[in-house]
Amino acid sequence: MNLLKKVFLVDLFQGLWVTFRNQNPKYIYTEQYPAERPKVAERYRGAPRLNINPDNGETLCIACNLCALACPETLIVVTSERNETTKRKELTTFTYDTSRCMFCGLCEDACPVDALELTQDFEMATYTREGQIWDRQTLEEGPKPTQYKC
Amino acid sequence: MADEQKPGGSEAPPPSGSEAPKPPAKPAADAAKAAPPKPAAAAHPAPPKPPATMAATPWDSDLARELKTHFGEGITETSTYLGQNFLVAKPDSVIPILEYLKLEADFDYLVDVTAVDWPKRAERFDLVYILYSFSRNERIRIKTFIPEGFKPETATGVHLTANWLEREVYDMFGIEFAGHPDLRRILLPEEWQGFPLRKDYSILKQDDRWVQENLGIPSGQ
Amino acid sequence: MSDTTFLDSTELVLNMGPQHPSTHGVLRVILKLDGEKVLGTDCVIGYLHRGVEKIGENRTYAQFNPYVDRMDYVAAISNGLGYCLAVEKLLNVEVPARAQCVRVILTELNRIASHLLWLGTHALDIGAITPVFYCLREREEALKIFEKYCGARLTTHAFRIGGLQYETYDGFEQDIRDFNKWFLPKVDEYEELLTNNRIWVGRLKGVGVLNADECKEYGVTGPVLRAAGVKWDIRKALPYSGYEKYEFEIPTRENGDTYDRYIVRMQEMRQSVRIMAQAVEAIPEGPIMGKVGKVIKPPVGEAYVSIEAPKGELGYYVVSDGSTQPYRMRVRPPSFVNLQALDRMVAGGLIADVVAIIGTLDIVLGEVDR
Repeated sequence: MNLLKKVFLVDLFQGLWVTFRNQNPKYIYTEQYPAERPKVAERYRGAPRLNINPDNGETLCIACNLCALACPETLIVVTSERNETTKRKELTTFTYDTSRCMFCGLCEDACPVDALELTQDFEMATYTREGQIWDRQTLEEGPKPTQYKC
Repeated sequence: MADEQKPGGSEAPPPSGSEAPKPPAKPAADAAKAAPPKPAAAAHPAPPKPPATMAATPWDSDLARELKTHFGEGITETSTYLGQNFLVAKPDSVIPILEYLKLEADFDYLVDVTAVDWPKRAERFDLVYILYSFSRNERIRIKTFIPEGFKPETATGVHLTANWLEREVYDMFGIEFAGHPDLRRILLPEEWQGFPLRKDYSILKQDDRWVQENLGIPSGQ
Repeated sequence: MSDTTFLDSTELVLNMGPQHPSTHGVLRVILKLDGEKVLGTDCVIGYLHRGVEKIGENRTYAQFNPYVDRMDYVAAISNGLGYCLAVEKLLNVEVPARAQCVRVILTELNRIASHLLWLGTHALDIGAITPVFYCLREREEALKIFEKYCGARLTTHAFRIGGLQYETYDGFEQDIRDFNKWFLPKVDEYEELLTNNRIWVGRLKGVGVLNADECKEYGVTGPVLRAAGVKWDIRKALPYSGYEKYEFEIPTRENGDTYDRYIVRMQEMRQSVRIMAQAVEAIPEGPIMGKVGKVIKPPVGEAYVSIEAPKGELGYYVVSDGSTQPYRMRVRPPSFVNLQALDRMVAGGLIADVVAIIGTLDIVLGEVDR
C-alpha cells in the first residue's frame, strides 16, 4: 500500500488538491487599492488632527503642553500666549513633525480635552521633507491627498 | 554591599521626559519615597538625604547556606528583592560559583550575562549573571562589582551560551573577558571606537570617524 | 590560504550576505564550504542595531513602551507584555483580573500570528510557495483584531504599565470566538499541505539536530527546546498574567530536528486557540488599570522578568535608581541566544540546510540586534 502511495504521488496530490480548492473566486482576498480604500478600524492611529469646537469654531486645545511632554520623540511644539481678558492661555502655534512620529498614541492619550486625536487618515505623503512638519492649519484641516481616478 | 547609586546621581533627563502623564481617571498614587520631584529638590536647601538603596532582605535558604559554607569569603551578600534571589560575589569567585552551581546545584541554564555602569562608584561596573535550574525551577542572580580595566574570566568554559553574551557586554561596555575564544565586537562594526552603553557616551554621539570613512557622510552623524 | 595554490585548496568562503531573501532580515552568515558541504559558519549581526537599550535609559517608563514593540516586530504584543510585567514587578502593582485576561487573549493571538508568519516564510525558503499566501491571509484576520482593539496592526503598543489603556471594543468576544472557529480548520489545511509531503519531510527530517543537552548548554529556549524533548514552558513553570488558570498542553517531540520543530509549532498554534477559547469565556468584569500614579517612579531596585514569547524566553532586566527613567533596560532576546546555536546545528550539512535551519530557529533580526 505504501509503495503504491509512493509511486502514485498520493501525498503530493493531496497538497495540490488543497491549492486547487482555494482557486475558487470566493476566496479572493486581494484588495484593489486605490480603487477601493481599506476600511480601517475606529481606533486606528493615523494622521493627527486638532479638533475644533463645533459650536463656536474655536480650537479645543488649551495649550497645556501635556502632549509635548508625553511624546517619546519630542516632536510636538506648542506655543501659547496669555489672553488678558479671559486670563487663560490661548494657543498660537502647534507644530507636529509627522516624519519622526511613530504613531504610538501617547499624545492622544495624554490630551485632557480630546483636542489632539489620531484619525483614520493614512495617506500623508508629501513631496518634501518640510511638508511633513505640520502646522496648526494642516492639523486642523487634515491632509488633503490628491484623489486619482482609476 | 549592594549600594545602589543615589537617585540624584542619574543625569538630568531632557525637560520633555520628566513626566509621564498617564491617561485620566487614575488615582494619583504616591510614587517612590526615595526621590522628591526634581523642581522641588532644586528649590529646597534641605539637609542632604542619604542615598536610597535597594530594599533587599536577606535570603536564607538551603542553597544560600550551602554556597556560603562552600565559598565563605567569596560571597559578600545573599539577598532577595521582590522575590528574586541574588548574591553578590567577589570577582574572582564568580566562575567557581558558576561551576559549583552547574555541577552541584543543577543550575544548568545561563539565562543572561549583562552589565550595569555606575560611573560614580569606584567599582564602576556591575556584572550580572542570571541562571536558571530546570529541575528546581528556580532562578538566581549573581552580581559582582568590577573596576574599570579589570578583566573578568570568561564563563564560556562553564556555559557555552556566554560566548555571544559576553561579546555583547564587551561591545557595549568595554569589559574584556580573559580567555574568551573570540572576543570581538558583535553588534557594532569591528572598527568602531567607543563603548555606547557607558554613561559617559552621549545618546547622540556616533563614531564620527567611522561614519565619515564608511558611509561618506561628512558631518559624521 | 596564502601559501597553497588556488587549485589545491578545497575550502571556499562564501558570504550569505545581509541582503538575502532567506535570511529573514539583515543577517550575514559567512560559510566555509567544501563543495556544497558546510564546514563552519560565522554569523555577523548588528545591521539592525538601533540602540534600544541606550534609548531605554533616556526615556521615561511610559515613553519607552512604544519602542519595545519594534524589537520583535513580528509579534509586538509579547514584547509589550514582557516590558509591562517587568515594570509592574518593580512597582509592585497588581494588574486587575480583567486586564490580565484580555492580555492573555491578545498574547495568544499574537503567538498564532507569529507562528503563521514563521510557517509562511519557512515554507517559502524551502520552496513551497503556497503556504505563505494562506498563512498571511490568516494573519490578516488576527491583525484586524489587533487594529480594532488598539489602532495599529504591527507596532501595537497595546498594553500600558499597570493594565490596559483601551477597553475591549464591542464585539471583541464574538470576534475571538469567530476567529477560533474559523482558524482551527486552517491548521488542518496546512498540515494537509505539508506534514506528509515527501519533499517537506525529505528537506526537514534529520536536518539541524540539536538534542536536549546541547539546547541547555547553548541556552536555547522556546519551540527549539521543546522539540528536543524538554517539556518546559515559562507559562507553566513560572506563570504570569493568570496563565495558571488555563488548561493547555506543552507539545514536545524527541528528535530535535527541523521537522519536529515544525510539528511543535503547529501544535502550539492549536494550544493557543484552546487557551483563547477558555479565556474569552471567562473575561471578568472590573477595572482595566491598576493603581499606578501619573508619574511612574519605581523605588530603587532591579528585577528580571521573563515571558514565553513565540520565539523563546524573552526577558527584561530593569534596574531602577528611583527616578522616572530606567537606569538600565536590558532586554534578553531569545533570537540572539538561539542564533548562537546555528554553528552547531549546521555542522556537516549542506547550504540548503543552512537556509532551512535559519528558518526553523525563527529569528527576527529586530530582536537579535535591538
